[in-house]
Amino acid sequence: MIAIQVSNLSKAYGFYRIFEDLSFDIHPGECFALFGPNGAGKTTLLRILATLQAPSQGHFTIFGQDGVAQKDTVREIIMLIAHGSHLYDELSATENLQFALGLRGQTPSPPQIKRALDRTGIGAFADLKIRQFSAGMKKRLDFAKTILAQPQLLLLDEPYNALDHDGVAITNQLIQETLDRAGTVFMTTHDRDKATQIATRGGILKGGHLQLLSSEQLTTDAIF
Amino acid sequence: MPFFKTIRWVVWKDLISEWRTRETMSSMLFFALIVILVFSFSFSMDQDAARQLIAGIIWVAFTFTGIIGLGKSFTSELQNDCLESLQMCPAPKGAIYLGKVAANFLFMLSVEILLFPLFVLFFNLDVIEAVGTLLIIFSLATLGLAAVGTLFSALTVQIRAREVMLPVLLLPLAIPVMIAAVEATRGALSGDPFSFYSQWIQLLIIFDIIFTVVSFWLFEFILDS
Repeated sequence: MIAIQVSNLSKAYGFYRIFEDLSFDIHPGECFALFGPNGAGKTTLLRILATLQAPSQGHFTIFGQDGVAQKDTVREIIMLIAHGSHLYDELSATENLQFALGLRGQTPSPPQIKRALDRTGIGAFADLKIRQFSAGMKKRLDFAKTILAQPQLLLLDEPYNALDHDGVAITNQLIQETLDRAGTVFMTTHDRDKATQIATRGGILKGGHLQLLSSEQLTTDAIF
Repeated sequence: MPFFKTIRWVVWKDLISEWRTRETMSSMLFFALIVILVFSFSFSMDQDAARQLIAGIIWVAFTFTGIIGLGKSFTSELQNDCLESLQMCPAPKGAIYLGKVAANFLFMLSVEILLFPLFVLFFNLDVIEAVGTLLIIFSLATLGLAAVGTLFSALTVQIRAREVMLPVLLLPLAIPVMIAAVEATRGALSGDPFSFYSQWIQLLIIFDIIFTVVSFWLFEFILDS
């Protein structure tokens, strides 16, 4: 089964076309890195795949489920890490995990939560309120969520932003673990050096069109 | 996805956040205290007039205080784009709505229970025998306001002028609840037999059911749009 199948997808705001006629497939076990200049529509495409926005034309499926008509089913198997951390300032790290996982119908045990926090390097801050977290710590907590939720498709919007060297290593390690269990990762990024360490395929979204890249082309400077 | 567990998680999250900040409750209480003081001074010379109008005064204070709380219900979801995570979580959206209604209902009713003794004190009301009935009336009317107010709070949260739009949209729809609440409260405070004002309580129950059911179905479309 194809993880993400995009067919003739277009998005426009009024007369302004963000992108048009995008078609591509991503298979389970692949990490797809989407590059492109600011305003090219990377985040818009990601938000459409995350079922947060509807496409203007075309359609897409996530593991065989239609992304518009069956979005409730799609939402059970995807997880998005976006610019906003989706964390509540007044709750602690542990409470945020309990709440986020609770809304997915999961109840991780305290040892599981502790392990996830330890793996992302913020185990010592389990009871600290998010209000006191730095941007990098929030990002790590987002990744702790994915360790517990184990989504089939992980959508990442600029995953390396705000992360230090260790944070980047942890992120790529978690992406690799997602791929190892036949999960799929779709990320938008400007950081080619970090993304190419883990991406198996990619694309450049520019001028409303997508140029697909193989893993070899990802490391070819002339293409970028 | 477990429906009732989702309701429980949303209520838990809203209550724990409010307990730690006391942001909503304190602003509601402060506003309500000012309203009570203003009305109390306005009618200090004419206690008879006050007693005639007290049911209306109580519900003006409760409704506008409730609007303050309802306005904050979804603005807390804007921090760190949490609204986005509610939108794309696989939990039933109706359960999220009911969780929000339950939390708003608890905030509003708690403030009303704290404020009512002040009305009794300032307006010299004799309420001993009517306390039970009043609690039922307050609960039913507050549920109606919370049911429709939570929906409009979600609807207006992304609008820049949400503080203005929420009361503008909510108050016309809340008028039937307010009228029924005022009439039932007047009957209870006057010591009338229950049968004299029971039709207003029945009307409150009907409004609660209609508002909750309609808002429950509309909430998913509002959250997704």
